[in-house]
Amino acid sequence: MALYRTEERGWPCLLDYRVFFKNNVAGDYISPFHDIPLKVDSKEENGIPTKKARNDEYENLFNMVVEAPWWTNAKMEIATEEPLNPIKQDVKNGKLRYAANISPHKDLHQKDKSTNCCRDNDPIDVCEIGSKVLSHGEVIHVKILGILGLSDESETDWELIAINVNDPEASKFHIGDVKKFKPGYLEVTLKWFRVYKVPEGKPENQFAFNGEFKNKAFALEVIKSTHECWKALLMKKCNGGAINCTNVQVCDSPFHCTQDETRSLVESVSFSLNKESDEEDAEQAWYFLGK
Amino acid sequence: MSGFSSEERAAPFTLDYRVFLDVFHMVVEVPRWSNAKMEIATKDPLNPIKQDVKKGKLRYVANLFPYKGYIWNYGAIPQTWEDPGHNDKHTGCCGDNDPIDVCEIGSKVCARGEIIRVKVLGILAMIDEGETDWKVIAINADDPDAANYNDIHDVKRLKPGYLEATVDWFRRYKVPDGKPENEFAFNAEFKDKDFTMDIIKSTHDHWKALVTKKTDGKGISCMNTTVSESPFKCDPDAAKAIVDALPPPCESACTVPTDVDKWFHHQKN
Repeated sequence: MALYRTEERGWPCLLDYRVFFKNNVAGDYISPFHDIPLKVDSKEENGIPTKKARNDEYENLFNMVVEAPWWTNAKMEIATEEPLNPIKQDVKNGKLRYAANISPHKDLHQKDKSTNCCRDNDPIDVCEIGSKVLSHGEVIHVKILGILGLSDESETDWELIAINVNDPEASKFHIGDVKKFKPGYLEVTLKWFRVYKVPEGKPENQFAFNGEFKNKAFALEVIKSTHECWKALLMKKCNGGAINCTNVQVCDSPFHCTQDETRSLVESVSFSLNKESDEEDAEQAWYFLGK
Repeated sequence: MSGFSSEERAAPFTLDYRVFLDVFHMVVEVPRWSNAKMEIATKDPLNPIKQDVKKGKLRYVANLFPYKGYIWNYGAIPQTWEDPGHNDKHTGCCGDNDPIDVCEIGSKVCARGEIIRVKVLGILAMIDEGETDWKVIAINADDPDAANYNDIHDVKRLKPGYLEATVDWFRRYKVPDGKPENEFAFNAEFKDKDFTMDIIKSTHDHWKALVTKKTDGKGISCMNTTVSESPFKCDPDAAKAIVDALPPPCESACTVPTDVDKWFHHQKN
């Protein structure tokens, strides 16, 4: 049984749509930003010691929250400034935001976040490259392969490259293997991140290290550093600005609250009953960026 | 319904009145970015759209990295036929026994079974497993940008890379199934609109010969309800009886198998 489940409020593709998270066993509300552990407990999974735990390879397995499934366009993300940080669709200029389809690709990334914070004021981003298309709100275990350093509108935006540990090919993958088994994938990843905001009228993005993908050891250092940032955030040792740190698991945190408090938080938000949405057009257009 | 349509602009008897003869109907078989290999069932009465089957299994086109499914709305021009008994002088091969294929390049993802009007722009001469398989390039006449597209060079200019991706896709799309790469006539060059109109006219003539029984279509079902010169014309009640004999529509949709989502990466040697 999965450790977490989701609860939707409002209708998808409307401004008030939210995906809240719950602990699947107790049924209590949690924050996907603060209450899901960074690392998978290697000793047990659902109370049962796993074979994988005995293999060194799997010592560094991380939890990932899927925000945007592969081949979808809606710019879904953990709402860092809302209590209990549900997943919601990003809004720009009052309109729901969709990632553009940039020829020759339909939106080709599955983006997840691990439970850390980062210099772009968000948890660290992950691109999961396995073959299964997941759903937003799914929490999966991933093996880190490498990392790309993006300067997105002058903020540092690390993009981890990872693979679902349950992918049939997971055991054979390191960053060099992505080039061998999925030729072209890293190149298109680079291209996508370089140009994905151009259809919105923004300039191309820049990269650290000349756009080179760094290896797992480097990626793990970045994750460790952003995890330290997050710990400081939750203990109020640094100023998180508008970030909402409400949580139910981090007992020492001054932002810790009870189950009754979280239940009232969720129930106090109202959502529309109407399903009407005409956002289809936003997902269909294909942008051909001139040579 | 005629496969041939015309598109009027402005009122008759005014200076701006135009009738465009390069607009045809298109039956959408496969919406852009989907994978199920749906096609007009040429051998079934009333030629419904159905999913192609190979070796007893429903057929899905692979996601050829970096593409997802089909990269255009894909379908056919009705009232056309690539005659397998006719050796095409351009390709040196016989027809593939199907209506002529169309790749519709507009921005809207159409629905399966939608009938749209398309402006023909150019054509690619593919040779698929030794058979002539023309691919018409067209744009939905209702596309917001349609007025800017009048010939194949407009596609090169306004959608750079799309035609190259089209050749790449057709060259490789059967490789995941273990088949070899496809070949093309004219060095995979796209021919212009005038050339395309000739090919469409020729396949329309082949179709006329088929439905008037001048050519033997062998397994093809030529049943129709509107072609008055056709010996295969039947009355609407007979057509209805055929459809009524089939199972009713499904209450719940079956899901596409998850392995269809997989990306096929071309292993370069």
